[in-house]
Amino acid sequence: MNFDGTILLVDDEAHVRKYIGLILTSTLTAPRIIEGSDGIEAMETYKSANPDVVLLDVNMPQQGGIETLRQIRAHDPDAVVIMLSSLTNRQTVEEALQLGAVSYIRKDTPKDEIAAIIRQTLAECFGDARQDDGA
Amino acid sequence: MVGVAAQAVLATPAMPPSDQSLRGCKILIVDDDRLNVRVLQGILAPEGFTLADAGSGEGALDLYAEFQPDLVLLDVELPGINGFDTCRELRRLHGEEETAPVIFITARAESDDVVEGLTAGGVDYLPKPVRAREALARIHTHLHNRILMEQLSRANAAKNRFLGMAAHDLRTPLASIRGLAEFLQDPALGPLNPSQRDLVETIHDTSRSMLHLVNELLDVATIEAGELKLQPGPCDLGKLVEKSVYLANIDAARKDTRIVVEPADATSLTLDEARMKQVVDNLLSNAVKYSPPGATIMVRVGRDNGTCSFSVIDQGPGIPDRERHKLFKDFGRLSVQPTGGEKATGLGLAICRKIVEAHHGAITAENLPVRGCEFRVTLPIPA
Repeated sequence: MNFDGTILLVDDEAHVRKYIGLILTSTLTAPRIIEGSDGIEAMETYKSANPDVVLLDVNMPQQGGIETLRQIRAHDPDAVVIMLSSLTNRQTVEEALQLGAVSYIRKDTPKDEIAAIIRQTLAECFGDARQDDGA
Repeated sequence: MVGVAAQAVLATPAMPPSDQSLRGCKILIVDDDRLNVRVLQGILAPEGFTLADAGSGEGALDLYAEFQPDLVLLDVELPGINGFDTCRELRRLHGEEETAPVIFITARAESDDVVEGLTAGGVDYLPKPVRAREALARIHTHLHNRILMEQLSRANAAKNRFLGMAAHDLRTPLASIRGLAEFLQDPALGPLNPSQRDLVETIHDTSRSMLHLVNELLDVATIEAGELKLQPGPCDLGKLVEKSVYLANIDAARKDTRIVVEPADATSLTLDEARMKQVVDNLLSNAVKYSPPGATIMVRVGRDNGTCSFSVIDQGPGIPDRERHKLFKDFGRLSVQPTGGEKATGLGLAICRKIVEAHHGAITAENLPVRGCEFRVTLPIPA
């Protein structure tokens, strides 16, 4: 998929950042990926880098994804945030969607399905202009 | 000092030694005869028990909630509701598992009365007039059992929490390992030689089956902790089954197996679609797992008499009669082996049963006359 925007990828676990990062680079043409490992740092990075999309882990020490999502949306009501969840806890996911997250990814989903969710969400948020128009 | 201790023992030669671990245990005495209450107090107070008493069944029901006894001594013949009914009511109000053990005190030590007392939920009975030694010995036993039951229930809850946490924390890293192994298999990252490819495949397959096990353990922990909360919504059972069959056929094709679903009328129900899909997927994957390569698996969806059902009919060896009792239990692995080297955790059908029962349905397995087995899930259609 044709996408060259900036993606802020926030998860406290390095293996998740590596794995999801690989999915992003193999699914999108030229994403610029910035990594973050906690919610407080993510908020700072959001302000300075102004990314197009945030992939945000729900469960993080110090400051969790829900609170970080709240802060990001307060700072920028149009922020595009996709939650990363390891939970079967549908309540937390629903709370995130109510707070304005555009979709969520369960991290134990097979990689092709994760890639499909990312493509679909980006197409919905940024329209067809960025979707496969070079193909 | 030795002399004093010896004297204390000698002073009550007929009494069992008092049990320090039971001091402070709360006993509720229910008897309309004040003299009987005083006799029992005289036996129990020196043991360090905390006591309360009521003169009627109704009084006992009121006092129980406030006093929270560890054991109830309950006279059978009471004004108002009798002891048996009081016991039934206590257990109805406070739960069969949670209600403190009830020991009946009765002059009617006929076998029928004893049986009625025990079926009403009592754990034991004491004949009148009460003999102190016997009463204490029985009370000690039941208090010890009660304490052990509480410890057991706490230990089980802790086990479930641990299982849930461990499974939860293992899941994400396993998903990463599986996913990263998939990337290694992708020729875009560069070619692997045959033995490297073999190793990566092993990493991928092993992490995939571990992830499956961990997910099932997490399900068991969730369900056992009573946290299986259904999210019911409208769902067409026929469509749900067809969708699952479509995906299962992709896996089945690897074993040259076909799953054929007979077309069904619209069967709209109210159920938790994600959980019911788990049941369908599990039955389909079992059918493929235990049928010989090249088999055809039949799936039927139907409705009659206020129920809706689906069945999965495999061509496997069936369920050995002597192992039937294990089929739907946790870790109930049978001697029957998968035909393509697939893994079995022994948890899948136990989870299916719990999900189906949470929907007020039933799951059964019947061997077919020649070979194969039919697994059937029946769900009520709300009136």
